[in-house]
Amino acid sequence: MSATRSARDWLERIHALPLRGRVRIMNVCGGHERSITRAGLRTLLPAEIELIPGPGCPVCVCPEEDIHQAIHWALTAGVTLVAFGDMLRVPIDRPRREIRSLEQARAAGADVRPVASPTEAVRIAAAAPERPVVFFAAGFETTIAPVAAMLAEGIPDNLSVLLSGRLTWPAVAMLLASGEPGFDCLIAPGHVATVMGPEEWAFVVREHRIPTAVAGFTPESLLAAIYSTLRQHLEGRLFLDNCYPEVVRPGGNPEARALLRRTLEVVDAPWRGIGILPASGFALAAHSWDARRRHPPADHRDRPRAGGMPAGCDCARVVLGRIYPDACKLYGRTCTPRTPVGPCMVSDEGACRIWWTGGVRAPAPAEIPAGVQAP
Amino acid sequence: MCLGIPMRIVEIHGVNARCEAKGVSREVSLFMLQDEPLQVGDPVLVHVGYAIQKMTPQEARSTWELFDRALAAEEAAAPSGGEHV
Repeated sequence: MSATRSARDWLERIHALPLRGRVRIMNVCGGHERSITRAGLRTLLPAEIELIPGPGCPVCVCPEEDIHQAIHWALTAGVTLVAFGDMLRVPIDRPRREIRSLEQARAAGADVRPVASPTEAVRIAAAAPERPVVFFAAGFETTIAPVAAMLAEGIPDNLSVLLSGRLTWPAVAMLLASGEPGFDCLIAPGHVATVMGPEEWAFVVREHRIPTAVAGFTPESLLAAIYSTLRQHLEGRLFLDNCYPEVVRPGGNPEARALLRRTLEVVDAPWRGIGILPASGFALAAHSWDARRRHPPADHRDRPRAGGMPAGCDCARVVLGRIYPDACKLYGRTCTPRTPVGPCMVSDEGACRIWWTGGVRAPAPAEIPAGVQAP
Repeated sequence: MCLGIPMRIVEIHGVNARCEAKGVSREVSLFMLQDEPLQVGDPVLVHVGYAIQKMTPQEARSTWELFDRALAAEEAAAPSGGEHV
């Protein structure tokens, strides 16, 4: 076996590459973006390389209507609403004086509980069999596979699911089909590939001639993937590389994929602020699990921006990698983690939140000459 | 949210296991690794309370290592290329 390479080795190899112009490398995983930002990789790489955060935040693209629905049930249907913690602070389209998030619903007396695992949802339901419990589950394949495992293992009768699960590759397919993907190389998500297998990303190389590598979450693995895609780009020898062999194996986790197939269907699904993407969502295979079949639907008629992003919020373009987080007019001004406007500033996987936490502050307004500090 | 945490199995009971990482102990479902022969001491990748994959100790790498080595071997063989059988 080859000797272990350190992050410094990978950086040296990258700096030795004969780059001749700008190369844009997109990642599609909030965990990747967090590792890149935390390690300060952007400042360590040659100036020609741009690392672009792309669609990697399931909370950010979770339909606004689904969050509204969850809030509505928590407030009116006498249910216990459980959700992954990230979801609780995402604001919906409601006037500021009204309840706009699950967290505010909780403060107003609704029984809303953050969970860190589907097993907790089962435990909460089993502990109070007479009370309806709705598990509001948003996530990509890595998170939805455990939800599938929960369903296959059997859930209490009083537990139902509001599912906002999405697949990652269809958003990349949409960008590639748009004619202006906005990136030259792709870093594929390591834990999605752990579950689904790296093969899901082969189409990016085969059909679109985009260098691609699956990466893990250490600087070493990310730099290995960056190096791999750059060399593919330079030499024109393209293949799907796997720079995370510790857990990413051909075929992924076959048991997890079987559970997904057994309990869920893949359907066309809306992405907040983006629209409907074909074959990009998970739907419950059995009606008996479906919270929508047990509880009344929320009314969206008095909500003119239902389904979209908040006014002035550029989350949708941030999610698609069309702009960097700090190019949004609200970034760091009216929108910060303390007072988030859009979901990208709420979720730990949102690029805005990650950049803010990493110390990126709002750029000075354009009319102020360069060199003058913003207040 | 898609971030898994490497943990070590310290106790297996049926389809669940007690796992540990950096002194923190947690109940983890092995439901998605039912076909894997798992033992106490094995490292697994845990996401939202479920082990999603058994980990094999392998460093981050790129397939270019293999290509480069193959290329280097070819080049090393090249000068005497006409002579070998």
